[in-house]
Amino acid sequence: MHRHAFSNGHAAYPSVGGGSTFSIQPHKFQPRSQPALRRRRQLIQRLLLIGSIFCTALFFFFPNLRPNLGAGPLSYLGAGEDTQLETVRYYDLSNVQGTARGWEREERILLCAPLRDAANHLDMFFGHLKNLTYPHNLIDLAFLVGDSKDNTLAKLNEKLEDLQAHPDPKQTFGEISILEKDFGQKVNQDVESRHGFAAQAGRRKSMAQARNWLLSAALRPTHSWVYWRDVDVETAPFTILEDLMRHNKDVIVPNVWRPLPDWLGGEQPYDLNSWQESETALALADTLDEDAVIVEGYAEYATWRPHLAYLRDPYGDPDMEMEIDGVGGVSILAKAKVFRQGVHFPAFSFEKHAETEGFGKMAKRMKFSVVGLPHYTVWHLYEPSVDDIRHMEEMEKERQQKEAEEKAKKAKEDKIRNQFDAKNKDWEKEKAEVQDMQKNEEKEAERKRQKEKEEQEDKAKAQAQAKKDEANREDTKEAANQARGFVKPDEIHEVHGSDDKVKPAPRQPQHPEAA
Amino acid sequence: MPTPRSLRRQNPITFVLAGILCIGFFIFFFSSNDASPASAGKGSGHTASSALSPPSLPFRKSKSNGPPTAPPVEHYYMNNVTQSRDPVGNREKVLILTPLARFYQEYWDNLIKIDYPHELISLGYIIPKTKEGNAAFAALQAQVKKIQSGSKAKRFASVTILRQDTENPLQSQVEAERHKMENQKARRAAMAKARNSLLFTTLGPSTSWVLWLDADIIEFPPTLIQDLASYDAPIIAPNCFQRYYNEEKKSKDIRPYDFNNWIDSPTAQELAAKMGKDDILLEGYAEMPTYRSLMAYLYDQSADPGTKIKLDGVGGATLLVKADVHRDGAMFPPFSFYHLIETEGFAKMARRLHWDSYGLPNYLVYHYNE
Repeated sequence: MHRHAFSNGHAAYPSVGGGSTFSIQPHKFQPRSQPALRRRRQLIQRLLLIGSIFCTALFFFFPNLRPNLGAGPLSYLGAGEDTQLETVRYYDLSNVQGTARGWEREERILLCAPLRDAANHLDMFFGHLKNLTYPHNLIDLAFLVGDSKDNTLAKLNEKLEDLQAHPDPKQTFGEISILEKDFGQKVNQDVESRHGFAAQAGRRKSMAQARNWLLSAALRPTHSWVYWRDVDVETAPFTILEDLMRHNKDVIVPNVWRPLPDWLGGEQPYDLNSWQESETALALADTLDEDAVIVEGYAEYATWRPHLAYLRDPYGDPDMEMEIDGVGGVSILAKAKVFRQGVHFPAFSFEKHAETEGFGKMAKRMKFSVVGLPHYTVWHLYEPSVDDIRHMEEMEKERQQKEAEEKAKKAKEDKIRNQFDAKNKDWEKEKAEVQDMQKNEEKEAERKRQKEKEEQEDKAKAQAQAKKDEANREDTKEAANQARGFVKPDEIHEVHGSDDKVKPAPRQPQHPEAA
Repeated sequence: MPTPRSLRRQNPITFVLAGILCIGFFIFFFSSNDASPASAGKGSGHTASSALSPPSLPFRKSKSNGPPTAPPVEHYYMNNVTQSRDPVGNREKVLILTPLARFYQEYWDNLIKIDYPHELISLGYIIPKTKEGNAAFAALQAQVKKIQSGSKAKRFASVTILRQDTENPLQSQVEAERHKMENQKARRAAMAKARNSLLFTTLGPSTSWVLWLDADIIEFPPTLIQDLASYDAPIIAPNCFQRYYNEEKKSKDIRPYDFNNWIDSPTAQELAAKMGKDDILLEGYAEMPTYRSLMAYLYDQSADPGTKIKLDGVGGATLLVKADVHRDGAMFPPFSFYHLIETEGFAKMARRLHWDSYGLPNYLVYHYNE
């Protein structure tokens, strides 16, 4: 840059000691002495340049060597949220023990519902959800959708989005999780195959698996309670969460019944999985194979257990409690600590039980209180069984037949009346003939009807007999055939089902006049 | 008007500015490259929408001002959660769970050296509510704060610290007291409850593996997770040893420590058959000879380090478990389950659910020496 300086002939550096001290040469330019740094500027610049290129290359190719320079300035603009990410969570589990008045202490509830092919029930279920009186923002929802062949998932998603879009912040729920997991089930979900005895053990185990997956993925350290609810509950009190919570028990279930059509008696106990253990059942359990599962409500296992369902008195005190050992899964309220400490739905034979019954057994084993409320009832949806449908079809056919008969009779009478009016002699004759014929026909029909009636009565008698047998077995518990061999339930089926524990009901007598 | 030459030539400000620009450029260039391992375009599911869910992901602090918005509907595709032989390649999330009674700095120093992408690791701790627990909590918190505000590559995806709600039956954590036979059942039942509480509250829908690591394991190979996962076993335990000073040999040596990894014996089964419903079999006590084959004694320095054996009981010192095993319901029974309790009962329960346990007798991890 100024290498051309000193054209006056002077050296770049002042000569020390040259000339006299007093010699001043104002006419000459004397460059100032320069510090070494500035003198070697060029060299330094080059060194720096090389160094920085080297570092750039090094850092570029070996990212691990880069010094930590904190969050990049870009991250404040583009990925700005990154800096607000929190990674450390701290919870004290003694704050989420669950108390009798949870709504006052703002205790969170996890509501779990396993779903499969349940699209038809979702409208009803969400109706119930909206009606719950427990503060909605304290309720977290978790659904496990698996192996569904209908549009359960799409419908569920739509319903939940609607739910959360409610303008009133008090109406929106807490955390909502939809877990999708297909276990690959092999059993049909129709009522018949679902409730066949042989399929029960495998079905219960796979159902248990689904419940465990749902719970383990959805349970948080903030939950004080866990509520299991089937989607096909038709009627339940809006205050059910508070009502169950007030008892301050570790595990509590209401009684579950279902309404029936009038010709089947109007109503019926539904969930037979809530029971108290009996000596017979314990003795029976000892005789069974390690992997066997006792399922209630089947003649194959006569357990003589007192069932919560049969103890219902419509006018009884709804707060009455009953200690139970097995629980049904339609509506379970449990303290979250029960699940935290390891109680789950055994997908194996635990003390000869699986799923919700095994859950009750395990909770008891870990010294938690397990109670049922015999006079506090929720109503399960009535889905006609294949038998019921067949019967209803029969009834419908009979009704149509009767109608057709009446129509034919009327038509004949009309015809006869018309013929009377004709006043034709020939016709008079013919009329007599026709009347004869008709008489014969009527006789024939009468005979036929008589026969039908007899048949009907026989049938009713047979059914009444069957009912009597059933009643004998259930109420007096004497007539049962104890000597019958116990059928070993199927071993592990790789089957997975949604929850529903309809048990075959005692056949109701058929009213003859209905036919 | 041209600038006077002297100014252009010599003004140091020019160089200072150039320098600042240069440094600025470097910072910008490198740090923006390094930014946000958590949000670097791996699609959704990398941050939790709320502090609540899921516990294994980082979350955003809620802004206290402004009306609270309704939490969104979260979808979790659990069909896509894999557990493969190549956990790093498949970006599988690991949950490391530690019941913490005492904090050992060696444990922590060893843990953060783990050679598995830290953004795929979540840590979970459960600490008893005792004086000792408070001290451990304070120490842990300091270390966690340090690492979570430090280098991005070293940060863990999330850390969950729980304080235990169940009572610890034993106040003393002294080794001699802790290992007394009559204290074992109550101690291990409480331990099992703590483990279950920790597990079921931190296991998220996206977790692939659960690594149980005791707070007194102070040394293991940094590639522990990859090594154990490569066996593709549902439950797998390395051999737990302890380093000590051998007085006889006058040299440093190792000795077996964890005796809960075993293969069952007919003697033990006979013993169990005679027991009451609530009694438990314990391992490593002279009063109760079980003649089980203990993995701790199967260590052979000269043998193939990759040897895998099938086990009937496992210990919890170091244990890699496929998350599906826990999801199916396998937990640590706090009661006598087939006369087994805690981790040994866990192996039995997993077996009932058709999951098998394995051990690596020649793959060592080291326990703290008190």
